Amino acid sequence: MHDVTTTDPAPAKGAAPEPPAITAAERRRRRAARIRAVVMWSFIALYLFPVYWMISTSLKPMSDVATVPPVLVPTDLYLGAFESVLSNSAFLQSMRTSAIVATGTMVLGLFLAVPAAYGLARWRGRGAEVSSLSFIMAQLLPTIVIATPLFVLFASVGLTNSHLGLIIANTTIVLPFAVIILRPFFAGLPAELEDAARLDGCNPLQTLIRVAIPLARGGIVTIASLSFILTWGDLVFGLTLVTDPALRPITATLTEFVTEYTTYWNLLMAGAAVASAPILLTFLLLQRYIVGGLMDGALK
Amino acid sequence: MGSVRTSQTPAAAEEAPASAGPESGRSRPRRTRRVGVPAVFRPPNVFILPAALFLLGTIGYAIGYNINLSLRGGGLAAFLAGEATFVGLDNYVEMLGDRRFRNALWVSLLFSVGSLVFQFVIAFAIALVFNAGFRGQSWVRTLLLVGWVLPPVVSGSLFRWLLDGTFGLINHILVSVGLTQQAIFFLSDPTLALVSVTAASIWVGVPFLTVLLLAGLRTLPREIYEAAGVDGAGYWQSLRHMTLPLMKPVSLTVLLLAAIWTFKAFDTIYIMTGGGPARATEVLPLYAYHMAFRVHDFSTGAAAAVVLMLFPLILGILYLRSARRH
Repeated sequence: MHDVTTTDPAPAKGAAPEPPAITAAERRRRRAARIRAVVMWSFIALYLFPVYWMISTSLKPMSDVATVPPVLVPTDLYLGAFESVLSNSAFLQSMRTSAIVATGTMVLGLFLAVPAAYGLARWRGRGAEVSSLSFIMAQLLPTIVIATPLFVLFASVGLTNSHLGLIIANTTIVLPFAVIILRPFFAGLPAELEDAARLDGCNPLQTLIRVAIPLARGGIVTIASLSFILTWGDLVFGLTLVTDPALRPITATLTEFVTEYTTYWNLLMAGAAVASAPILLTFLLLQRYIVGGLMDGALK
Repeated sequence: MGSVRTSQTPAAAEEAPASAGPESGRSRPRRTRRVGVPAVFRPPNVFILPAALFLLGTIGYAIGYNINLSLRGGGLAAFLAGEATFVGLDNYVEMLGDRRFRNALWVSLLFSVGSLVFQFVIAFAIALVFNAGFRGQSWVRTLLLVGWVLPPVVSGSLFRWLLDGTFGLINHILVSVGLTQQAIFFLSDPTLALVSVTAASIWVGVPFLTVLLLAGLRTLPREIYEAAGVDGAGYWQSLRHMTLPLMKPVSLTVLLLAAIWTFKAFDTIYIMTGGGPARATEVLPLYAYHMAFRVHDFSTGAAAAVVLMLFPLILGILYLRSARRH
């Protein structure tokens, strides 16, 4: 499950050295695999072109942004766009807000989701079915449906324009998702280990902390990174629960950028690149957990 | 990795019922089970309570609030003061009569169906190629998901820049290849704007659907294919008569999830067009946002929210019924 980067069995079969004479069927199979590789690599190059174009545009001076024909590969790397984005205090403030909110949501989400997923995985019977169903349903609600009531509720208790308010709001989105994805990880753990812990005198909570959580840590890393990514990307709560520009998350600030800097595409693209950097870093560092965990958890 | 995963899936599935037997008879005497402690309060079931209470306090509150407010008149101030009168379905009747709402419903439908069909077909095709295997596939799969993890605001900005009427790259390409004489203003023409936001939504959605469908393909039994191969079935034949039918339950799940996700899409459209031009891309979530936070007509906003809640509910029930049948 964790070894996402190792080669899959299918190509391994095709690539394995076959000492005796290669049959025509085998040769055909290898050629088909090569064609698939070429097609998919071309597809991914095309698919990721917008991302390349973002980075490329952000590295051009404004005079190169609007030329005909367009400059596909910037020759002189111009860092001015990044300099002006990174010296924009409102932008940096927003990055800080997003970091605090995404981290806080991750912590609160895990704190609630891990025990819930474990309890749900161990509970047999109708109640468990109904609970699972409620978590699934909660995950399907459009964010805007939750945003208005939370705005009214938060306004009355002073949680609008606060990090805590944004953390609570984002946790409502992250938590059901986390429980759904985490549950199969706990359900798949060998029951004998937990039985042994119980015989050693662990109560259920100790069993969860000492046995189940260490065993399911792959799933927990998956969920932690996904909740960070999801929260960082949120716009609806950032727009609705925050009216003070100084407390806006980076996504909401970026929408301001779009209206303000639409003629300065290099600045906007530099802003977009900086805003995505923490996400892309998290994803690329933990991709084997994220991709594997999604594939394991999503369909069960 | 594929083999590990497929072998793990049935194992995990068998685990659950197998461990249920001994667990229910073991450790805890049967007596405590019979006394009236509801199952949810017994450990470790009780561990779900903090999360359940949290969601009840937020999402449960939100659902109740929307339903309650949507049935009342007099505006938010009266509602908060507890003086809002019960008006029954008046808000709904008014909303249904509103051209803007009907437009949003229609735009949502076009946007969701368009996104869904293309996302699914493209993702299925890619998942099939992945499943057949090729060199470097785990790299390609990871890179593909970059499009999905990118904040929607960022992908929206990227598409806005690519499709820009004056300096956008797509216009440069179209003009230089000779497909068009003049630059096309993708985001200011009503029809093209809807096509553009749908295209962006397809770009964002394909990776996740691919991963889900690939996970489904990996669980299909390989032996059937080997048997079919011996019987001389070609690739397209086994695709049509085995893969597609076998994938039906997974496809249904994935389609329903994707339907719900596209239906709730907000960020990408908000940043690309803001719902314009002339509301040509104003989907229901944007309409609800506009009503509540721009016009401050919270009652209509709540009625729109109830409609938005009903949609996943209906799809969810349909899904459960079909899941039970399989």
